[in-house]
Amino acid sequence: MASPPPIEFDRVSLAFDGRTLLRDFSLRLAPGEKVVLAGPSGSGKSSLLACLLGFLRPAAGQIAIQGEPLTPKSIWHLRRALALVQQEPDIGEQTAEAWIREPFTFRANEALRDRLDRLPGLLPRLRLDPALLRRKGTDLSGGEKQRIALVAALLLDRPVLLLDEPASALDPDSRQAVYDCLAGLSGQTLLMVSHDTGPALDFADRTVRLAPPEVPHGRD
Amino acid sequence: MGAIEIGAGGLAASYVLLIFPLAAMLWLRIPLVSQTLVSVLRMTVQLLLVGFYLQFLFDLDDPRLTTLWLVIMIVVADLSILRTTRLCLRCFAGPLFLALAAGTALPLLFFVVLLLRQPNWMAAQVAVPVAGMILGNCLRADIVGIRTFYDSIRKSNRDYLRRLACGAGRAEAVRPYLRDAVSAALAPTVATMATIGLVSLPGMMTGVILGGANPMLAIQYQIAIMIAIFCGTAVTVVAVLLLTLRSAFTPYGTLDPAIFR
Repeated sequence: MASPPPIEFDRVSLAFDGRTLLRDFSLRLAPGEKVVLAGPSGSGKSSLLACLLGFLRPAAGQIAIQGEPLTPKSIWHLRRALALVQQEPDIGEQTAEAWIREPFTFRANEALRDRLDRLPGLLPRLRLDPALLRRKGTDLSGGEKQRIALVAALLLDRPVLLLDEPASALDPDSRQAVYDCLAGLSGQTLLMVSHDTGPALDFADRTVRLAPPEVPHGRD
Repeated sequence: MGAIEIGAGGLAASYVLLIFPLAAMLWLRIPLVSQTLVSVLRMTVQLLLVGFYLQFLFDLDDPRLTTLWLVIMIVVADLSILRTTRLCLRCFAGPLFLALAAGTALPLLFFVVLLLRQPNWMAAQVAVPVAGMILGNCLRADIVGIRTFYDSIRKSNRDYLRRLACGAGRAEAVRPYLRDAVSAALAPTVATMATIGLVSLPGMMTGVILGGANPMLAIQYQIAIMIAIFCGTAVTVVAVLLLTLRSAFTPYGTLDPAIFR
């Protein structure tokens, strides 16, 4: 039997404060597929990621993760199939290392603690100095925080990786290192929101472009 | 020595002290004079009415009436906290009432039954003033605790959502905010306990001494009431935050924006 799609949006509409961002949006990702969501600001790209995590509710339509519809009950275990890289991670006063390690203290991730052994190997791939782990979030640049967030998400090694503009604050070399790292992932499904649509994103299997608000969307 | 009577004349003379703060306000052109006068008038009228009512309550000493009065005190504290924190009445009034009731009843029972060994648990002369002292402190602590908890989740929403996204359960996601809120709520009482007697002589102790008791007896009462207050504030703050975890959050674990008025 074929594996269920890791992510499926079925005729999803998004509306906030009476304004429709997306109408009848459908998208199905195959296991291991790498998809870039592109589109103008305000077109609903980040909101779609938020919907997958249950942080926003669509005005209409269905969302399923690994074939299971997203409901108030299922969301709690479905989140364990996802890893999120936020555009502006809030590390606060914690050190980068404490922030990376924190999710492994959650009951759902206790069995995954061995994966922290991969931390020293991941840092150079993303052009990060190991000394940076001892610095507080307030002493890190936006680009360093983005790469720290990517390290944390990669360590969780979830089947689905959600990335919200993960390279928006990076210099060209670091950005390329991030894209090379994502290109090297195998087996993980990837849904990435990005303003970039150039050759750097050639590693993606396809790019889905969202139209400006109020324009209907067809099946990709 | 018995209680020193103040008398109507003495009480009236105490208002003379108001000349100094009012003069300072006028000199510095602080627009608080009329508000101060209204507040002093309200305080006087409210306390006189409560004095008459308490006398009536003590004379009657009916446990049902005392309980009713305690419930009224808790409801007033409940509404006052929610008015100050600007949170949704419908979501919070019930859980906060339960938390305040538990946080008042627990130390009150210890105080009355174990400490004073009163056969009548609801003796008005003991239950009403002790519950009042506990509730008064709970009120301040709860405002700090509730405000710290919900404001910090709202301000650190990205961090909170990241915890949920990483697979945290409801309790795990709110734990750092809960820890900070309870710590902020209890810190003033902990600091007061550390400096009591050195920096200030608390009202209850002063009242007992002026009432004619010896200082050692006043100190015993003060120690017991401080512990009762600390217990009450800790119980109410933790209980109200835990009891509102479901009503203040969506079924998906995100903070419900409708809780803020």
